[in-house]
Amino acid sequence: MATPEEIESLLSRVATGDRGAFRQLYRHTSAKLFGIALRILSDRAEAEDALQDIFVKVWDNAGRYQANGLSPMTWLITLARNHAIDRLRRRRAGQGGLDEAAELADDRPGPEGQVMRTAQRDRLVACFEELEAARAEAVRRAYLQGETYADLAERFEVPLNTMRTWLRRSLLKLRECLSR
Amino acid sequence: MSDHDIPERDEDEVLAGEYALGLLPPDERAAFESRLSQDPELRALVARWQEDFAGLTEDIAPVAPPARVLPALEAQIFGPEQGAGRAGHGLWRLLAGAAAACVLIVALAVVTGVLDTGPTRPGDPAYVAEVAAEDESLLVEAAFDAEDGTLYVDRRRGGPRPGRALELWLIAGDDAPVSLGVLPDDPEAELPVSPDLRDRLAGGTLAISDEPPGGSPTGAPTGDVLAVGQITDS
Repeated sequence: MATPEEIESLLSRVATGDRGAFRQLYRHTSAKLFGIALRILSDRAEAEDALQDIFVKVWDNAGRYQANGLSPMTWLITLARNHAIDRLRRRRAGQGGLDEAAELADDRPGPEGQVMRTAQRDRLVACFEELEAARAEAVRRAYLQGETYADLAERFEVPLNTMRTWLRRSLLKLRECLSR
Repeated sequence: MSDHDIPERDEDEVLAGEYALGLLPPDERAAFESRLSQDPELRALVARWQEDFAGLTEDIAPVAPPARVLPALEAQIFGPEQGAGRAGHGLWRLLAGAAAACVLIVALAVVTGVLDTGPTRPGDPAYVAEVAAEDESLLVEAAFDAEDGTLYVDRRRGGPRPGRALELWLIAGDDAPVSLGVLPDDPEAELPVSPDLRDRLAGGTLAISDEPPGGSPTGAPTGDVLAVGQITDS
């Protein structure tokens, strides 16, 4: 795996239309993004189509990633995740598209975003563990399975508004924990 | 959403999280997005959630995508001519057949007769390859000089079909073929290799295709693949 600096440098070159850089970026990141698409879509053929679309978006939008030393992989992962979730939702039912909706934030997060990925993951896991198991599961399902409030309310057998209140409070707890 | 348990100051934090997860109902999402375009602090909140949630993918193992995705992708972005999509597949098919024959080819002796002028085989090439037709009717030796970034080629047997040209291609990994240039009439030549290609020679394959004069008009092989050879350390 290339370093964040290398990925960032490739992204900035891709933004200028550098095809060689695009191919290198693909070589360095496609396996991770394909893994994510496969996990979300659970269908190899669709994950393949998704990966192709994801990299078309990378090509088209690389200029929107502003290089400033902060996790370019997050930018790519978020783009891949949103696209895969969008496909999954379209497959499930005529849900609203997430692709156009949850656009990637232009601003990068603060210095806390710079911590080592593994440390970040440990912290995330620890904070998820502070939530009630079912509520942590709900947040995970929203992120990795694209489940909506309606899906989650059905799964956890609670009214939709209750589900939303749960989840919103979980987000607040997560943020409090992650900010410690 | 009115939720009296969540203090006002935290409302944006929660909204940003819901937005990052894709949970906001359409009307709220639209309202949030119109604020987002105006408010860098709000964008920073969303970005922080995206950063955090991306951590949920760390347990997901990378899976190498099939080789066909990249050529298809490049064809989609750069146009079918540039992407090597169709021609690339033809090449791959031919290559598969030729690869077995390629193994049988015994490396040739060192090139004899160093000329005083013109292209010369590098004394200490970084990589070498024997690019040969199945029946050895076409045989080109290649040697890469890492110092000046040129690929010396010596066409030792065979030549282009009448009114046609021979084009040399690099196939690195699963990537679509990249042209290294048209072989000139002279048997010996030095072809410059662009810096971004130099690192990709190791472990790659060279192939020669039959092309119109001047080389492939599409950027991808269009004619028959006449010869192939593995690039090896010298």
